[in-house]
Amino acid sequence: MRLHYVALIAALGSLACGTARRGEPLAGSLNLAGDEAGRRGHLVFTKYCHSCHPGGEAGLAPAINDKPFPDFLKKFQVRAGLGAMPAFKTHVIFRTGIE
Amino acid sequence: MRNSVGGGEVAHRMIIEPPARVVDPGEIALPDGYRMQAVATGLTFPTGVTFDDRGGVYVVESSYSYGEVFTTPRLLRIEPDGRATQAAGATMNGPWNGVAFHGGSFYVSEGGVLAGGRILKISPEGRIQPLVSDLPTFGDHHTNGPAVGPDGMVYFTIGTATNAAVVGPDNYQFGWLLRKPGFHDIPCQDITLTGENFSSTNVLKPDSNKPVRTGAFLPFGTPSERNQVIPGRVPCNGAVLKVPASGGKPELVAWGLRNPFGIAFTRDGLLYVTNNGYDDRGSRPVWGTADHLWLIKPGTWYGWPDYSGDRPLAGSRPPGKRELKSVLAKHPNTPPKPAASFDVHASADSFDFSRSDSFGHVGQAFVALLGDQAPAVGKVVRPVGFKVVRVNVSDGTIYEFAVNRGKTNGPASWLKTGGLERPVAARFDPSGAALYVVDFGAVFMDAGGAMPQEKTGVLWRISRAGAMRGADAR
Repeated sequence: MRLHYVALIAALGSLACGTARRGEPLAGSLNLAGDEAGRRGHLVFTKYCHSCHPGGEAGLAPAINDKPFPDFLKKFQVRAGLGAMPAFKTHVIFRTGIE
Repeated sequence: MRNSVGGGEVAHRMIIEPPARVVDPGEIALPDGYRMQAVATGLTFPTGVTFDDRGGVYVVESSYSYGEVFTTPRLLRIEPDGRATQAAGATMNGPWNGVAFHGGSFYVSEGGVLAGGRILKISPEGRIQPLVSDLPTFGDHHTNGPAVGPDGMVYFTIGTATNAAVVGPDNYQFGWLLRKPGFHDIPCQDITLTGENFSSTNVLKPDSNKPVRTGAFLPFGTPSERNQVIPGRVPCNGAVLKVPASGGKPELVAWGLRNPFGIAFTRDGLLYVTNNGYDDRGSRPVWGTADHLWLIKPGTWYGWPDYSGDRPLAGSRPPGKRELKSVLAKHPNTPPKPAASFDVHASADSFDFSRSDSFGHVGQAFVALLGDQAPAVGKVVRPVGFKVVRVNVSDGTIYEFAVNRGKTNGPASWLKTGGLERPVAARFDPSGAALYVVDFGAVFMDAGGAMPQEKTGVLWRISRAGAMRGADAR
C-alpha cells in the first residue's frame, strides 16, 4: 500500500508544471481579509510547513505549490507523512486547520 | 536519494577564476511601490551597516569568512558616489560581525576567531578601545551584534563552539579544532550531563585507527560521565550578554541559543534575536530544524542543545543516523515558543524593525536570510534563503520582501543574474524611510567547505518609489 502511494505521488509529481513561486514580490500580496479559513490555514502552514517548504516552494523538502495533487491527497500526506516528512495527526493540526 | 542542490554548491573546486559579479537591481523583485538600488559594490565580506549622527553611511567588512579566508577588518565610510574610504581598521581577529552607532561612537562585535572575541568602541577618528575582551569565540560561531538597548547598555551575542555541543570532525573541517584542540562550549550556568558520548575518528591523530569518544561541553576526545556537572560561567557560549557603553564586566541576559546572529530592539524596547538552527553535521547531527526569531526574556534558557524552538530533540532521528537523546540531565526551563520559524538552513541573520509609515509595515521585522551552506550544513532540495523577508511578530507569519527573479529561488551566481547574493544584514536608516541591505557576496560550497569570493559584497538600499531621500537625492 505504501509503495503504491509513493508511486502515485511520484507519477502525479511528474505532471508538475509552472513555477512554485508565489511570494508577494512576484505574485502580489496575500489578501485573506474576510477569509477566516484561509487565515487559519496560513497560520497552520506557517507553523508546521513553512520551514521545510518555504512559502510552498522547495527548500529542505520539495515544492508544494506546483504539484497538481487533489486536496484529499495533500491532506492524506499531511496526516500520514511520507519519507522524511513527519505525520501531523489531528491532535497536532486540528481538522479545521487544513480544511 | 536526491542530490543536494544548495545555492552555493559547485560540483568541484575548478572555479579558478569565477566570473566578476554583475549588479542589477532590476533582477530583484520587490512588492509594488518599492525600489532598490546598489549603493556600494566591490566590498569584501561586509556584515553590517550603520549611520552616524550626520547621516553618514558606514559598513564593516568582516575580515574572515568560513573557508578560512582572512583579510583585514575594516570600518568603511560609504561616500555619496559609492566609494568606500576606511574609517578604522584593526589587526586580524575577525570576523567583525556587526556595527552600531550610539552617542558619537561606533560599537563593533569582533568575532575573535584567532584571539578571542571583543566588543570594540571606535571613535569617529578611528581610535579603537576594547570594552570586553577574551570572549570564548574560537569555534564555529563568534561574537555577533551589537545593539544599544533603551537602558544605554551594549547588547551582544556569542555563538556556540559547535553544532550541537559535541566537538567533532566537522570542527576540524572548519579549521579551528587544529588551532584550538582543547576548546569546547561553555555553559552560562552549571549543567548536569546525561553521560551521552559520541564516537568519531580521531582527526587530531590521522595515523590512529582508534576512534575517540567525546561528551557534550567537553574537549574533543574527552568522554562524559552520567551526572557529571559542568560548571557554568560568564562569558559563555550561545548567549545574549550586555556591557555598559563605557566598558565593564559583561552580564548575562539569556542563554541556550545556538548562533544568535541578529539582535534588535523594537520601538517599545523589546529585545529580539535571530538564531541559526542546527545543522546535519558532526558527531551529533540534527536534521530538519528551523532558524528562529526569539523574543528575549531575561534569565531564560532557549533550548540549545536539547531543543529546537519549543520542541525537544530527543526521539528525533536524522535520516540514516542515530536517534537523538538529550545531553542535559535537567533542563533549566522549558523553552518558550519562538516568535517565528524560518526556512531550514536559511541562516536568518541581522534584522531591523520598521518604525516609519514612509516605509510601511511598522513594527514588523525585516530579516536578511544569508542562504544555505549546503552540503556542509546538510542537504537541501533547492536553494534556501538568499532573500530578505518581513516577519509579522504578532503571529509569526513570514513574507518575502526582496527576492531574485527567476523560475526558482537562489543566489545571483546560481541564477546567473545581477541580483542578491547573500543578504547578511538589514537595517533602516535613521529616518526609517530606507532599508539598507548588506550583501556578503558570493560563497561557493562543496564537500570540502566554503569558498568565499572577495570583492563581491554589495550594499543595497530599498525605499518606497517616490520617496527620494539620502543617496537617491544625491
